Amino acid sequence: MLVLNDVHKTYQMGETQVLALRGVSLELPPAQLSVIMGHSGSGKSTLMHLAGCLDVPTSGSVEYGGLDLTTLSSRERADFRSSEVGFVFQKYNLVGNLTALENVALPLLLRNATTKQAHARAREALDLVGLQDRTTHRPAKLSGGEQQRVAIARALVNDPTMILADEPTGNLDTVTGDRILELLSQFRADDKIVLVVTHNPEIAETADLVVYLRDGRVESQQFQEVAR
Amino acid sequence: MKLNLFRLALKNIRSRRTRSWLTILGVLVGVTAVVALLSIGTGVQEAVLQQFEDIGYDIILISPMHAGGTAPGAMGGFMPGSTADGRFGGQMPTQPDFNSSSPGTFSPENLGGSSSEDETGDGQFDQMREALARTASSSLDTELLLTQVPQLIEAGTLGTQIQPVDTGTTSGFLRVSTPSLDFLEAFPSVLGGFEIASGSFFTNTTENQVIVGVRSAELLRMSVGDSISINNIPFTVIGILEASDQSSDEDEGSDSVLSGQGLAQNLGSGNSADLLLRGLTNTDDSLFVLHERASNVLAGRTMSAVTITRVESGASISETKDAINVAIGQQDATGTPISIQEVADEIQGTLSLIETVLASIAAVALIVGGVGLMNTMYTSVLERTREIGILKSVGARDGQVMTLFLIDSGLMGLIGGVLGLILGSILSLLGTRLLGPSLGVGSFSPIIDAWLVGGVLVFSFVLGALSGVWPAWRASRLNPVDALAAE
Repeated sequence: MLVLNDVHKTYQMGETQVLALRGVSLELPPAQLSVIMGHSGSGKSTLMHLAGCLDVPTSGSVEYGGLDLTTLSSRERADFRSSEVGFVFQKYNLVGNLTALENVALPLLLRNATTKQAHARAREALDLVGLQDRTTHRPAKLSGGEQQRVAIARALVNDPTMILADEPTGNLDTVTGDRILELLSQFRADDKIVLVVTHNPEIAETADLVVYLRDGRVESQQFQEVAR
Repeated sequence: MKLNLFRLALKNIRSRRTRSWLTILGVLVGVTAVVALLSIGTGVQEAVLQQFEDIGYDIILISPMHAGGTAPGAMGGFMPGSTADGRFGGQMPTQPDFNSSSPGTFSPENLGGSSSEDETGDGQFDQMREALARTASSSLDTELLLTQVPQLIEAGTLGTQIQPVDTGTTSGFLRVSTPSLDFLEAFPSVLGGFEIASGSFFTNTTENQVIVGVRSAELLRMSVGDSISINNIPFTVIGILEASDQSSDEDEGSDSVLSGQGLAQNLGSGNSADLLLRGLTNTDDSLFVLHERASNVLAGRTMSAVTITRVESGASISETKDAINVAIGQQDATGTPISIQEVADEIQGTLSLIETVLASIAAVALIVGGVGLMNTMYTSVLERTREIGILKSVGARDGQVMTLFLIDSGLMGLIGGVLGLILGSILSLLGTRLLGPSLGVGSFSPIIDAWLVGGVLVFSFVLGALSGVWPAWRASRLNPVDALAAE
């Protein structure tokens, strides 16, 4: 369970203070697809960054399994991301000079895995997303949908307990987006926390929990029964 | 994990090929300069010291000059056209140019480059001859010296003169060396060997016999049994020497420098080390007349009579020098004892200083290369900001990001170092071939030892890594969210 308690996040942009989150409290249970919705600037991405330990709140706490993530050092946060979190971004965020296989193996290579081990697991992850025949391709040689599937394989390769996706279908056509969404939905079965930040109401229809943010505050949250 | 980061860094260098190579080029130029200069410098030092070693560190040379370093009537003070360092602007009699338009003679007008009539007129040569006569110091009695200084086991005399020489078909000035029999017996190594190629060794001290260096024999077109006039006194060529080791590597041009200007330097500056290196060890361009004979028939022409002594094994060089000074005083002669070790130390010190100065200049090029590397790394961090964000989002620690960039810059430094080492080695090999003859040390090899190789590789990697420290530190401190947002 990921718990956010009265989380505030303020950014300083020049002389202006931007209040991205203003006292957000949420509980994101495992084995569920949670969707955060809201307008641009509502604080959706900020919330995802805090949940994934990419950033720390200005005040409040983010707890995971009883561990207060806000007390972790920079190195501990990196280790937490490495072992517990898999990110999927709207712009895919693949390393351009690495092949699909190397991109997926990257999280393992940054730990103690040998190249052989990392590549073996990366192949499995690429298999899972249906890209077993694209291992040697660089991102520039892949379609948008393929790149996003490589990104999902990379998010999976460490077997994390939470998958955090920021607008994963934002740059894709409807058919490809649906396939990506289908992939993400499957992770619920693995007892993972799946959090998707999106504008897309169709994604919300398939979610177990839909949270609406407005101006950095939770406007509403709604649990719903969905067919699995 | 470090290996993985290494591979990632290597991939990055490959993916930015053009810029990486340009950056590496900057380091390469600096390393090449350092390697070439250091290896040539060390090679020159080794070659020079080897010559001294061949002569022997147990030798004390007694030069016929005062302790202040100026020979009586030193030529530097009066020779027309002489410069501050004792070099001559072409007026000094040097190797005759037998290929000139008037092959029958090698008078001063066609010797050693351009010279006007005014500068090289007879009056000036008469003046020179008078000066040469004045430098004829009262030679030490070497037999008496051996009894006065019991630490000495051998002693001999070697004089050097420049004499008018006439073969009947050609005439001009040549160097005439006048070694004593004792000298030839005990110190042939000082001359770099004294092997007879044809004819015989001196048979007596009562006849006018001359042994000719191989190149002089060629230039004078002389063979054993021919007659030659030295200072208008008839001599018979009884032997021709084997070519010395140095001659095979030296071209004609440099030889004339050695035999003419080198000798002039010796006389002008009174530098015994130079005399040893340039004057005594070059037998190819000399004529040899026994000192015992020359002192009778060529009296008054000795420009530089050096006494060479050998110290017995185990005796103190400095104490022996003191004893020699006392003996010189007792013989009412003039002279300054200099040990080969002192000469070697003096030369080594000078060469080291020159090497240090040159290496420092080369190091500036290396630093410029380092700055170029830093610029590339800084640009790279700016360009790869998003990539840094990606790395952090998948779990890279700050230290890993920093290490990745340090390996990146260190690798570029190392590649520049390796290539610079190879190019510097090639240049130094070429350089030694060109410089060897003109430096008067014959053939020598650049010294590229394990210390130079290891030092250059470590230094270039460290230079590269240090150049990348600041950019790498900036990269490691980037906020992952900000980095991911970068375009």
